[in-house]
Amino acid sequence: MTDWLQTTIDGLLDGGSYAIVGLGLSLMFGSLRRLNLAYGATAMLAAYLGAWLHARHHAPVWLVAVTVVASATVIGWYVERLCFAGTRDDAAQPRGAPIAGADGREVVALASSFAIWMQLEQLAVNLLPRHLNAFPSLAASGDWALGELLIRPDRLLVALLAAGLVLGLAAWLERSRAGLAWRAAADHRSAAHLSGMPVARLQTAAFSVACALSGVAAFAVLSLDGQVTPMFGMWVLLKGLVAAMLGGLGSVRGVLWGGLLLGVVEAHAQSLFGAQGREFATYALLFVVLVAPWRRGERGALSGGLRA
Amino acid sequence: MLEITELATAYGKIEALKGVSLSAQAGEVTCLLGPNGAGKSTLMLTLAGILKPQRGSVKFEGEELVGKTPAQIVERGMALVPENRLVFPALTVRENLMAGAYKRRDMAGIRSDIDAMFGRFPRLKERTDQLAGTLSGGEQQMLAVARALMSRPRLLLMDEPSVGLAPLVVAEIFSIIRQLHAEGVSIFLVEQNAHMALKVAQHFYLMEQGRVSFSGSPGELADDDVIQRAYLGQKRAA
Amino acid sequence: MSGAAAAYAVGLASDMAIMSMLALSAYLMLLVGRVSFGQQAFFGLGAYASGVMSVMFQAPLGLALAAGAAFGALCSWLLALPTLRLSGLHYAVATLAFGEMARIALGWWHWQRPGDDGPVGPAGIEGFRDIRWLLENDVSPAGYLGLTLLVLLCVLAVLMRAERLRLGVGLRMIGQDDTLAAAQGIAVNRLRLFAAALAGGLAALGGGMYAHRTTYIEPAVFDPMLGVHAVGYALLGGLGTALGPLLGVMLDLGLLDASRLLPGWRMVIFGGLVALFLRWRPRGLLDEALVHRIATAWPRRGHHPVVPDRKE
Repeated sequence: MTDWLQTTIDGLLDGGSYAIVGLGLSLMFGSLRRLNLAYGATAMLAAYLGAWLHARHHAPVWLVAVTVVASATVIGWYVERLCFAGTRDDAAQPRGAPIAGADGREVVALASSFAIWMQLEQLAVNLLPRHLNAFPSLAASGDWALGELLIRPDRLLVALLAAGLVLGLAAWLERSRAGLAWRAAADHRSAAHLSGMPVARLQTAAFSVACALSGVAAFAVLSLDGQVTPMFGMWVLLKGLVAAMLGGLGSVRGVLWGGLLLGVVEAHAQSLFGAQGREFATYALLFVVLVAPWRRGERGALSGGLRA
Repeated sequence: MLEITELATAYGKIEALKGVSLSAQAGEVTCLLGPNGAGKSTLMLTLAGILKPQRGSVKFEGEELVGKTPAQIVERGMALVPENRLVFPALTVRENLMAGAYKRRDMAGIRSDIDAMFGRFPRLKERTDQLAGTLSGGEQQMLAVARALMSRPRLLLMDEPSVGLAPLVVAEIFSIIRQLHAEGVSIFLVEQNAHMALKVAQHFYLMEQGRVSFSGSPGELADDDVIQRAYLGQKRAA
Repeated sequence: MSGAAAAYAVGLASDMAIMSMLALSAYLMLLVGRVSFGQQAFFGLGAYASGVMSVMFQAPLGLALAAGAAFGALCSWLLALPTLRLSGLHYAVATLAFGEMARIALGWWHWQRPGDDGPVGPAGIEGFRDIRWLLENDVSPAGYLGLTLLVLLCVLAVLMRAERLRLGVGLRMIGQDDTLAAAQGIAVNRLRLFAAALAGGLAALGGGMYAHRTTYIEPAVFDPMLGVHAVGYALLGGLGTALGPLLGVMLDLGLLDASRLLPGWRMVIFGGLVALFLRWRPRGLLDEALVHRIATAWPRRGHHPVVPDRKE
């Protein structure tokens, strides 16, 4: 029983990391109705810049943190301009057919974002060619004991940070006028235009905040490990995607539940089937959630937009 | 108040508006009639700044609006209630009204306006916290009008407000138009329902195939045989 | 050409031919309006299946490749059944998830039999070594290149012929607007499933050719990046013709990689190109418009355009 509880607790704490990683992705999707596949690579390149500063120039931890968040935002601006700005349906005027079909523009943005994913990953690897690269470590040295259970305080901190960011953002979206505007622009672009909202600027703002959040997530997660590898980009994208999808893409609070669920499922899968089983469980969970029959009504109609 | 000169808008190579000229006077209800495909919605979307015209000018109270963004046009005092209602389906009724007031800074004024809207549209008040996507067609139309009014426009553009609504609801919408007119809001109305429009508008235009083909008072419209047959049916006996 | 350079050229050409199969597989899915990030799974499944056939069952190469292709087609069809009804976005992610599940599953699979120089067969994470049919049957790299090119040419011939038939047109129509296609009486779901099966079969065929060329395969090769590249080749090269994906492969493997132009920047350039193209020329280099222009400029006896020329 204690083992089971311990596994669950470990899973919940890992889930905090997944939630914080998925928050930006869900926010982006909710705001733009587009999936940004370059999300992971953006965080990775930002993380590599931080690692480079740390390794080559012995930058202090706070500077690395600021660099990671700031560069994630800047890189995100580049991705947004290149992949998503042109596919907004602001203009009612029809464009020349991209990958056509009802989901045409969505698929184009998807496709160009994966192209940039390749590009950004290569840039990161060019910067730091080694597989293991040191990252400032804020890992705690001991565990807290709670009866027979052990809790890693650093992981707990990240999980609490995740909860704080999620709930804070959700409250802001629900209560503030600016948050209402973000939700309105995501819900119905044309109606937002007609209400006098600067839709393009609102979406760019949401995108930038999402990228900044990805930088925060990258810093938080990597400081637990003290290192970053070229697999980080894919890791961020996949974990974030699963967490966001489990909770409903576009739902801010949902990504918290999704991340926690993913963490717990993975932890138990690992204790039952080992490391490979854990990986398999992640994808199987994602696949099942996508293919599940109760999602019948979602063909083409992307649910909801941005929800708190 | 509104002066449109030789406005032309195209979709790719297809010219939907071929040089439209008309004007709307302050304090009046001006109605634009016309069959489907005539270009009426294109005109409305161009006025609202969502479509960019190839040439021509739109002067609102003397100021040129062509080239301005939709947000700037709302700021200047012109608001569109588009075809198909266009409410924010995932926001509540109250949030929809708040959204309509986006450009305004005066929280007190906004709150009192929301109360006024609920007074004017009691059915919306009953559904304050309901998601707009779950409202009926007529309620959504009222919400769309209320939302547009929240920006305190001086000219309200309405694109086919009666389409797809039951006759009782249509009557309600038109009585609201009359109310607004009585309160001094200028309205530029696009309609297919000429019968109802005859009862509220002071001036009529007829648009066919991207051009204005008739301009006159309600009396002149009712007197014209061709228009009678085409848009009003054979209702009038001689 | 010196011996080393010739060997390099033969190797490169073989790689390009094999990669083209995977790119064509991604292209087929794009034609019917779906981005698939899972084609590398069928590439891998075909590699393993045909390897098993030729190593464990001593099957001749042709049979091994065919069996691999059939297996890939079957798996793809099975995957398509629950996933094709998903929207483009969900479909892409579902195929990505499937691709990873397949890769991990291949990493679990152990099936070893005693062989001449020790055990042979798939050994989980460590891969599947000694797929040596070509060496055992004295097929030279040049000879194999000839075979690969022949297969590729046949595939291209079939695909390009199908373009002019109702089948090809129907597939494109589904990709453009499936509601409209259904209204025209096209069996949208059935055709899409067919396209998926064909795409899986092509990828698996390519995988089989790959396995025999390199003689060693491991699950780590069949990762999402491979599938992402395949989609990139199709998008860049163009969706107007089956030659499009080949052009994409040649641009990346041929031009950027082989020329050693700006090493270490290959992905940066390639990725940037694909993104730029999607912005301004979304159907790729050889898009339908260009293909149409080339086709009409080429005087042909008995040329019956499937879609009548329209004046704009």
